[in-house]
Amino acid sequence: MQAMIPDTLQGALILSAIDFFLSFVIISGIGVVLALFPLMNRVGKARVKSRRKTDQRDAVASEADEQHVAVIAAAVYATMAGAYRIVSIEPARREGDWVTEGRVAHHLSHLPKH
Amino acid sequence: MLDQTLVFLQALLDQTGAVNVTWQNLVMIVIGATMIYLAITKHYEPLLLIGIGFSCIVANVPGPPDDVPGGKAISALLYVVKDGGLFHYAYEGVAKLIIPPLIFLGVGAMTDFGPMIANPRLVILGAGAHLGIFVALILAKMVGFTINEAGAIGIIGGADGPMAIFVAVKLAPHLLGPISVAAYSYMALMPMIQPPVMRLLTTKKERQISMAQLRKVSKVEKIAFPVVIAIIVNLFFPPVAPLITMLMLGNLFKECGVTERLAKTAAGPFMNVIIIILTVAIGGTMAGDKFLNLQTVMIVVLGLIAFVFGTASGVLTAKIMNLFLKEKINPLIGSAGIASVPIAARVSHIVAHEENPNNYLIYHAMGPNLAGVFGTAISGGILLALLGAK
Repeated sequence: MQAMIPDTLQGALILSAIDFFLSFVIISGIGVVLALFPLMNRVGKARVKSRRKTDQRDAVASEADEQHVAVIAAAVYATMAGAYRIVSIEPARREGDWVTEGRVAHHLSHLPKH
Repeated sequence: MLDQTLVFLQALLDQTGAVNVTWQNLVMIVIGATMIYLAITKHYEPLLLIGIGFSCIVANVPGPPDDVPGGKAISALLYVVKDGGLFHYAYEGVAKLIIPPLIFLGVGAMTDFGPMIANPRLVILGAGAHLGIFVALILAKMVGFTINEAGAIGIIGGADGPMAIFVAVKLAPHLLGPISVAAYSYMALMPMIQPPVMRLLTTKKERQISMAQLRKVSKVEKIAFPVVIAIIVNLFFPPVAPLITMLMLGNLFKECGVTERLAKTAAGPFMNVIIIILTVAIGGTMAGDKFLNLQTVMIVVLGLIAFVFGTASGVLTAKIMNLFLKEKINPLIGSAGIASVPIAARVSHIVAHEENPNNYLIYHAMGPNLAGVFGTAISGGILLALLGAK
């Protein structure tokens, strides 16, 4: 690549002016890029927040399970004759009556036999 | 019998370098000894000056004339005449641009760019403090150097040893010796050169300005920084890509957290080996017959002018910025925009501390100091591009 600047004092002055000016421009550009760096922390924070929410949901779910068990046990005791043992708690599926019938039959099979 | 003995002793003496000692050798031996003295007693950059000073002394111990074609005695190191050997390849490592990028690898592995990331507006000082490069360039052209030589001399003002070597090899390889000696010597003497200029251009009140604590920079930012900067600088300035790539690679080793052994090696034992080779190579070029001439004296003087003007322009840039800033910056950190990391930042801190013992500017000063590395790389890259260097 050939030199763009002549080998004269004028060339030296032009070279210095261009170089000094461009240095300021490029360095300022780097400064602007660095000023945007804190945005990376917001992305990180959002990810941490969502992870915390999931953890919290899991924590709430595990706490609710115990509460649910207690409530269900109380409800069973209050509404159905005899003593019952809670085997599992599953989400209610609204597929239809046959499923409901099957669930009732299944629950009835867990009647403790004294 | 006596005559025979005298002839015998004369022949024996002719086999040594003692008969070839010149006044230039003696002057350079004194200069080398002075470097060692300053390093040990004043603690001026001992890692650089001990090696350079000692090699300078040894390079000026002439060898016997029989080993030298043409009968002219040169340094006992004989690195120029004979191929092979440590000193030959140490110099070749510098001249073939192997050593400078490796230095930058170690520098990157030692450097925390947090202060620069935390306060981006201070990077402007990394550009402002480089006016000295161009003052020296113009003056060098005025006194008769070619424009390529003037560019290589001017880059001394960037106070970046590897960059000065890099640009000198590309633009004016015959001036590599005096340019690299001037660059490294002035870097080591910065605690003497900068403070008078800084005090001259600032008031006591300005020197006592305290600056607010910088924000904490996250790990993510520090990991992203070397990648982003390497892309930006290499994209616009391919000539300096080897240096910036190794600087950012070393920094990534340090910051990523999973290459601790590589970072420790690059910053520690590896860097020490490279410094030893570099200082021996540089000092080995300081042979009196090649070094003590008008051209070298002019380069040394122009290098000093570059440093002085760079210091001044950095301080003045900070003062100009203060005209527009609500939160004032201490103008002393402007002089840290010269790339000599961390020497220039340390000088800013010490001068400010003397004025106000409760002022700890080192972390603030590191911002422009680190920006100065990029400022020198950018200035050098533009020089190489405009002057057609491959």
